[in-house]
Amino acid sequence: MRLLTHNYLISNVKGTKEGYPLQIEAEEVVIEDSPFDQELVTGILPKLNYEAVIGALHQVADKVEPKPADIPEKLPEGEIDTATLEALYHVLFNIHVIEGHLVCPDTGRKFPIKQGIPNMILHEDEI
Amino acid sequence: MSRPELSGHASIFYNEREARKYNSSSRMVNVQREITLRAIELLLLSPDKASYILDIGCGSGLSGQVLEEKGHIWVGCDVSRDMLQVAHERIDDSFDGNNKNVENDEGSDEVHDPPLSTGDLLHHDMGTGLPFRPATFDACISISALQWLCYSNSASQNPKRRLLRFFSQLYAILKKSARAVLQFYPETAEQAVLISECATAVGFGGGVVVDYPNSTKAKKHYLVLSCDRTSSKQVQQSMPSVEEQTHVSVSAASRKGIDKPIRKKKGIKTKEWIIKKKETQRKRGKSVRPDTKYTARRRPTKF
Ligand SMILES: C[S@@+](CC[C@H](N)C(=O)[O-])C[C@H]1O[C@@H](n2cnc3c(N)ncnc32)[C@H](O)[C@@H]1O
Repeated sequence: MRLLTHNYLISNVKGTKEGYPLQIEAEEVVIEDSPFDQELVTGILPKLNYEAVIGALHQVADKVEPKPADIPEKLPEGEIDTATLEALYHVLFNIHVIEGHLVCPDTGRKFPIKQGIPNMILHEDEI
Repeated sequence: MSRPELSGHASIFYNEREARKYNSSSRMVNVQREITLRAIELLLLSPDKASYILDIGCGSGLSGQVLEEKGHIWVGCDVSRDMLQVAHERIDDSFDGNNKNVENDEGSDEVHDPPLSTGDLLHHDMGTGLPFRPATFDACISISALQWLCYSNSASQNPKRRLLRFFSQLYAILKKSARAVLQFYPETAEQAVLISECATAVGFGGGVVVDYPNSTKAKKHYLVLSCDRTSSKQVQQSMPSVEEQTHVSVSAASRKGIDKPIRKKKGIKTKEWIIKKKETQRKRGKSVRPDTKYTARRRPTKF
């Protein structure tokens, strides 16, 4: 699971209000490099919940090797320089959570992540 | 031949053995590719932009592979862990630079590297909704999966309720003006009607497109949905209507052009980049092909 995907995921267990953002309890995180695509990140920015990106990054930080280049805590207004976009691209596309859990902020329900695949299957009584 | 949907839950039918077929049978691969290409064509995506696409019932990731070849980013969800496992291996191989040669559409011996995967996977049952923020995706495709919602696997599973929950959440997570194209195999005409009715009930515009209507074997149903909230006349007019099914048969000739990538390949993999990447893979102890004068050489394309 890329941090990009995490940014859009919610919990829809019965009884949740927002179910967002899901907290990441990471056990294993890997980096898979892919070539920087400036157009792509720029296109994604408007729909991105930047606060959730920062939150997610903090939650996985101690498992990420090598440490990614810093991204600003707040998204700068106006034109964003290429170095920042490149760092942001790296965070969103190249960091993959492989093992761990996603935790619903409202209900505490844990969704396991195995081999990079979050299990969001609900039990009958959770729908 | 009895229908797989009657055999019980999808995650039981699509077990490991069935899932492997999606990797080894070239007939299976080609059919899935062909349908995916047609679905993408019906999406009418903006031509020079990468789209963020949800693939529902992504299975072994064959449809996702077509999406990434076209330069898109995708998220796939499926209820069968065994199918997802095959998709997962395919994605991992693309990162490891293992040349699992992709068979090309003409079936000749020419091969090309699969691009780095842009897909992410999710284990999920579409009948229980779709766990994403509102207005997340530019488009949605679903290949040969939707008909599963017409069957119930337990006393508490009500097909109509599952279809309605599915469509209403699909409507919510698509951006305004996005389209969804869902190819499905209805067992009966009633099923096709039930599916379209549930889709329109939640606010979708659109209808069913039937390709090759006169061939029992090649016949394909595509539910084409638009969620344009302003419901402009033009969009509605270009959409097939639900009441009268549009019979569109597409000749082989007119299909030729649809295989072009709609966008330049994202971030071309340069020779240095590939060599650096292989170096990291070696350090991690993965087996990687040796660097030769052929490394990063462009492969012949299909044209
Ligand atoms: C014919 S396969 C699709 C193959 C896939 N498009 C590919 O390219 O490999 C149908 C898929 O639909 C999935 N499916 C069936 N019911 C589902 C449900 N309720 N939620 C999610 N996926 C489902 C099955 O597990 C199976 O993988």
